Amino acid sequence: MIQLTQVTKQFDGKRRVTALEEVSLGVDRGEMAAIVGPSGSGKSTLLNLIGGLDRPSSGEVRIDGSLLSGLSDDGLTRVRRDKIGFIFQFFNLLPTLTCVENVSLPLHLRGWARQKTEERSRELLELVGLGHRLEHLPEELSGGERQRVAIARALAVYPPILLADEPTGNLDTHTGQEILKLVHDLHDRLGATILIVTHDAGVAQSCQRTVTLRDGRIVEDHRR
Amino acid sequence: MILLRLISWQYARKHVLRSLLTVAGIALGVAVFVGMHTANQSVLYAFHSTVDRIAGKTQLQVWSGEAGFDEEVLERVQAATEVKVAVPVIEAVVSTGRAGQGNLLILGVDMTGDRSLRDYDLESADAEIIEDPLVFLAQPDSLIVTRDFALRNGLALNSRLSLSTMEGEKQFTVRGIMRSGGLTRAFGGNLAIMDIYAVQKIFGRGRHFDRIDLTLGDDVPLERGQAALRRVLGPGFQVEPPSGRVAQFDSILRVYSISLNISSAFALFIGMFIIYNSFAIAVTQRRTEIGILRALGATRGQIRRLFLGESAAAGLLGAALGVGFGILLARGAVGQVGGMLEGIYGLTQRANEIALNPRLISLAFLIGIVTSMLSAWIPAHSAARVDPVQAVQKGKYQVLSAGENRLRRRIAAVLAILAAASLAMGRSMIVFYGGYLLTIVAALLLTPTLALWLARTIRPALRGFFPVEGALAADSLIQAPRRTSATVAALMLSLAMVIGLGGVTRASYRPLIDWMTSSLNPDMFVTPSENLSDRTYRFPLAMRGELERIPGIDHVQSVRTARMIYRGGPVLVIGIEVDRVSRRVHSRVIAGDPERMFAVTAAGAGVIISENLAELNRLSLGETLELATPEGLLRLPIAGITRDFSDQQGSLMIDRSVFQRWWRDDAVNIFRVYLRRDAVAGEVKERILERFRHERRLFVLLNQEVRQYILRLTNQWFGMTYVQIAVAVLVAVLGIVNTLTVSITDRRRELGVIQAVGGLRKQIRYTIWMEAVAIGAIGSLLGLALGAISLYYTLEMTRRDFSGMRFDYEYPLPIAAAIVPIILAAAFLSALWPAESAIRSSLVEALEYE
Repeated sequence: MIQLTQVTKQFDGKRRVTALEEVSLGVDRGEMAAIVGPSGSGKSTLLNLIGGLDRPSSGEVRIDGSLLSGLSDDGLTRVRRDKIGFIFQFFNLLPTLTCVENVSLPLHLRGWARQKTEERSRELLELVGLGHRLEHLPEELSGGERQRVAIARALAVYPPILLADEPTGNLDTHTGQEILKLVHDLHDRLGATILIVTHDAGVAQSCQRTVTLRDGRIVEDHRR
Repeated sequence: MILLRLISWQYARKHVLRSLLTVAGIALGVAVFVGMHTANQSVLYAFHSTVDRIAGKTQLQVWSGEAGFDEEVLERVQAATEVKVAVPVIEAVVSTGRAGQGNLLILGVDMTGDRSLRDYDLESADAEIIEDPLVFLAQPDSLIVTRDFALRNGLALNSRLSLSTMEGEKQFTVRGIMRSGGLTRAFGGNLAIMDIYAVQKIFGRGRHFDRIDLTLGDDVPLERGQAALRRVLGPGFQVEPPSGRVAQFDSILRVYSISLNISSAFALFIGMFIIYNSFAIAVTQRRTEIGILRALGATRGQIRRLFLGESAAAGLLGAALGVGFGILLARGAVGQVGGMLEGIYGLTQRANEIALNPRLISLAFLIGIVTSMLSAWIPAHSAARVDPVQAVQKGKYQVLSAGENRLRRRIAAVLAILAAASLAMGRSMIVFYGGYLLTIVAALLLTPTLALWLARTIRPALRGFFPVEGALAADSLIQAPRRTSATVAALMLSLAMVIGLGGVTRASYRPLIDWMTSSLNPDMFVTPSENLSDRTYRFPLAMRGELERIPGIDHVQSVRTARMIYRGGPVLVIGIEVDRVSRRVHSRVIAGDPERMFAVTAAGAGVIISENLAELNRLSLGETLELATPEGLLRLPIAGITRDFSDQQGSLMIDRSVFQRWWRDDAVNIFRVYLRRDAVAGEVKERILERFRHERRLFVLLNQEVRQYILRLTNQWFGMTYVQIAVAVLVAVLGIVNTLTVSITDRRRELGVIQAVGGLRKQIRYTIWMEAVAIGAIGSLLGLALGAISLYYTLEMTRRDFSGMRFDYEYPLPIAAAIVPIILAAAFLSALWPAESAIRSSLVEALEYE
């Protein structure tokens, strides 16, 4: 489902920084993997490259067989739109939109009809256990609830890949566990390929596979 | 559309002030555009309407400039077989002398034939007199007034009305009242009909008519009738449908219209800048939101369309508000515009209604939406280029890369070279204005580089005064030149425009004063109107002798002025006693030998033309000038070119004898009176007034009064310069507030860290204040520099395309010295609120950006 071959990513500034160096990684359809490593090891960069938010300096990134480096900006956007759902550490919900409106946003971007969009958004919010918070604004929700809205939004088109960057990093332990449980539950029910970047050993251990990065390289790839 | 509702509407609701500012930017530009054009069009519409309504069934009108023509021309016209009815007309505007009633247009007609062209539609009349024109003729005090005028002034049939005539105050009798409608709406309803021969006497018109209105035979096409009359009358007459006179008004007001367009363009530019700035801020503030949308699958096109959609919506709303405000502005300005046109061009009109032009309103909406979208284009483009990875990481922002700066510098250098080359490439309008445009574009492209360079230059000074705050303020400018360059550029352009226009104003003052000193040097002027440019009333030539006999008067010169048509445009013909004038007047000579030019012109063998007439018509010394007169084509060699400010579109001076011969007109508009050395002006003025008290309507204007009148008109004309200075200050304030808001948003983490490690609130405050003042200083410096170039181009534009006046280049240092402290103070004041907002924001939240 996801295939990285000899991927290097460098950032040009006053000094050139190599975030990833010749990384090769394959993730199968339906697999759930954790990516761990210390700060600055390249975890988020890896996730951004897989998500088509960024382009590698060299090497290949393939998603479902499509080579991302050959795509235009709009091509990359379409890949994100149709195949990838993002879950961020800081939720990144739009503060002025209600839960339903936040979840419906990706569907509006795809040009879905209003009624169909609303039905799907309600269905997803029910799925993440927020059926009673449909018209609430993000500021009226707890951290865990906000992350649930973000997960519902990531699932808007039932994408085959879910990318989560520290999904529990901004939550207390109890709420974090709830969110993790929800992600596992969704994985079981929807069969999506899920990659989770995390510092949390508990989160990593709950995944079938753990990929460890250090200084931009994969130093361990452990399957359970 | 759904994104506009979900994203844009929510943002607008959350940032009401900024949204209002964006809408206000468009409203400002549109309001000035609509207001000034509507006021202008209302006055023009009043002219047009008066011409139309008075024309009645008239198919063609015959006229010959303002001087009119001899009565015998009527017989020649009536004798033409193509003509069915031809009647003479004189139009004169008089003051009613009644508070709030303004002027009255007297239409002098020949009652024997005129009613076949015009329907007076009388509701009450002294039947015997009105029905029998001969009786009307025999009653020279008869007046027919409109119902509106009668009602407003409490007049009824046989009421007496006092009017100021050439023979002093006279009583007139209302012999008829016209029903409302058609003709009576001319001149805002302040219209009176009078016998034409009575009008000739009352206004000192001799045996002259202003024009002839006519209809053609039933089967005669307009063109054939026109051609036949032109053959009969020769080149000295215009034979046109009534609409032709309307075109004459438009042509007289050409310079005024251009000035109006410049002011409107300036207002639109300011509006565009405000919109640009607001959207640039919106993009900065909404970077995270844009990043999220991009991560969720929004294409660049969708983001661009989202912002352009917002700008179109803001444009629509701003245009609607602008049109409303513009109409209010027009209501307030229409009187002033009318007054200014009367003072400068001698065109009196009563515009008491706003003429709303649907095309102008549609254009205003189009301009509002298009300028809004154009201004938002660059921010929308930047929004589409937001990097989603950086955008969702808090505390990061994108800056203009060095490569882009280098490319801009190179393009700017090429454009500057092309602009310099265009100056050497002759008089072509496209090349000249293209060069000006290239200069401005080059300056805009160089702004980020120059702003950066200046920020680096002033850094040591700022650091010297305040080691921490000064360095931080300068570094903020140095690190993100793009953030500041929009404000600096807008400030630079505003100031350059102020220097350009202010420079022309100042440059024209000295020559104007020189001209007044050398040419308008009589001790007093005796005129038949309060207004020097009003030519309604005329004196008989014989009055000169009577004036010269008054004790204390040494010397009197008689002047006849009339606006004529030369090469399709208006020109002021000045008929004077050149021999007498040359002994007292020492105009600045541009071309020709001073002694010879006066001698030749006095002998009737030459003409002296004004510098601006020569410039606008590309005339040179020795060339033969051809002027169409009622007596045929007058050909005179140009004996000299002098600096003369008598008329914006040019004037020419001929000897009075030539004027009398070719126009058969010996009337006088103004007597220039020189006093004996021992005479006291005030006493002589009293003697003149006393001498003519019961015989003549006249005004005695002292030299100082005339000078003040001209300077007042000039100040009124240049009044827009002061408005533009105010607008430049507004640009400074808005731009700097916006820039600082972005700067603070961008540097929230940095400012938070400074506070966290012990920075005092006052230090943050000083940093932001200094940043603001530095932006003001950089913008001012660049503006003053570009102003030097702008002044050159503005002077050239004035010379070649506007008034034809050539003024010396003189940098307006007093204006520069006055405006820079104002801009710096405005910059400081505009930093107060952002600085307070920065120090009061949550420290924890700011540090979370880490």
